[in-house]
Amino acid sequence: MCDADIAPIAGGRKAAPSLARRTAEAIGRHIGEVLDNEEVAARPGLLQRIDPRVKVLSIVLFSVTASLLRSPWLLLAMVLAALGLAAASAVHPASFARKVWGSAGLLAVLLAAPAMTQLITPGPVLVRLGPLSLTTTGVLGAVTLVLRVVASAGIALLIVWTMRWTDLLRALSSLKVPDVVVATLAMTQKQIVSLMRTVQQMHLARESRTLDVGTTAENRKWVVGRMAFVVQKSIKTADDVYDAMLSRGFTGAVRTISRERRPGGQWAWLIAAIVTCGAFVAVDRLVAR
Amino acid sequence: MNADFVLSGVRHEYRKGAEALSGIDLTIGCGEQVAVLGANGSGKSTLLKMLDGLVFPTAGTVTAFGQPLTEDSLEHADFRREFRSRVGFVFQDADVQMFCSNAFEELAFGPLQLGLPEEEVRERVEEVARNLRIERLFDRPPYALSGGEKKRVAIGSVLTMRPHVLLLDEPTNALDPRSQVWLLDLLGELKAAGHTVVIATHDLSIAEEMADRLVVLSEEHVVVADGSPAAVLAQRELLLQVNLIHEHAHRHGGVTHVHEHGHHSHAHEHGASESDD
Repeated sequence: MCDADIAPIAGGRKAAPSLARRTAEAIGRHIGEVLDNEEVAARPGLLQRIDPRVKVLSIVLFSVTASLLRSPWLLLAMVLAALGLAAASAVHPASFARKVWGSAGLLAVLLAAPAMTQLITPGPVLVRLGPLSLTTTGVLGAVTLVLRVVASAGIALLIVWTMRWTDLLRALSSLKVPDVVVATLAMTQKQIVSLMRTVQQMHLARESRTLDVGTTAENRKWVVGRMAFVVQKSIKTADDVYDAMLSRGFTGAVRTISRERRPGGQWAWLIAAIVTCGAFVAVDRLVAR
Repeated sequence: MNADFVLSGVRHEYRKGAEALSGIDLTIGCGEQVAVLGANGSGKSTLLKMLDGLVFPTAGTVTAFGQPLTEDSLEHADFRREFRSRVGFVFQDADVQMFCSNAFEELAFGPLQLGLPEEEVRERVEEVARNLRIERLFDRPPYALSGGEKKRVAIGSVLTMRPHVLLLDEPTNALDPRSQVWLLDLLGELKAAGHTVVIATHDLSIAEEMADRLVVLSEEHVVVADGSPAAVLAQRELLLQVNLIHEHAHRHGGVTHVHEHGHHSHAHEHGASESDD
């Protein structure tokens, strides 16, 4: 028994990864991204030095500005500014661009694509494709929409990415977001990471006991079954967490404090952001005339 | 000795037919170190939750510090505040106790809910963190802590409330050896300081080491033994019956022994108990 080696691997076709495996790998990537966020936030960079409260206000400011701009050129300038900020904050512009594209850009393109056609937006034809011909007005409108989404989502993502999750929650708290909302956000994120780890481990346990990847239907059934289990576990954990809160005196109103008393000042960034956004809007209005 | 808790004829059913505790009579004196022993599902955790006012008897009564411990009494703000400040509960799964965004806020949560001023909360947090050597974890979110670190923060989050009674559910569960030793040392310090400590465990070695009194729950959810560690652990038949130890065979050189074996403990007498196969 002990001298029985496994037969040498003799070529053949490798099985494609199963749906369950791809799901587990995606979960692993997301956990990695959550942990990666802490690492990016700890890098020495421009945005990392700014007070989280100021950064949270900046998100609102830039998002409002992006929604007010009508010129695609100015929106493009905002996108480029976001890339510049990324570089100044020790975030590689290419990986930043990939993240923004994956989380917002692609979706915006899919949503805006039908609006480029003559069917939705009549106007001078730019590219003839029968009933789906693209019009100049449609393309311009779609490009503006995509740039608007990419600019506002890009800046918001960059600001969040360069801020630790705990700082973000603290900033929300000090900006008078109700404590119960902040506490819920804190628990939600923790629970998501914890449950994702559970799913990943369940997949590994299954994979260690299975010989082939199984059919798509089998995999789908397994994934759905695990989802049901995770929901049950999540409800049980929520009950336990509530008990743990009650045990430590929780009565419905969460009280929190920050570790550090943040010094005043640090508002130079906010002033600069207000001036920049104001300039963008003013130029946009001039161009529109 | 004053009694911190008195349980009389306590029964608890999670739902009809699913009994967790059955006719429990138990008194826990002030400053006692009690280990509640039992196999999985015997009702240890339910008993601890009952002592913490998180679950309530289906029948029977629980008294805490001379007052009835009921859902109704805990709705009175003064009693609730006093009770919560006196009793701390360390859950088996440290994860459920980590609901704040970082370790500092976790430690501060309890005292803040008790309405203590911020300066005092900060002092308590820093003092406990220094004692438990967890200051470096202050800014870390729960998912970035190891199992041992989570347990330290979970215990710290209860100690900042300066409770007189500590309830610990399977405290050594999933802890590495170094963290287990640290925990035993901590429990020793609490014992020396006169705290009442109640531990639920199936780890006989921990129970023997830290408790002055062992209470054994059977798989039928009743108390089947209550006494000093020496007296309770000497009842091998009983421990076998309640599934706390099991018979185990292994070899030493050419000799095979059959003897009782408990979680983390070897009740092992070479020579006297050995039986050659």
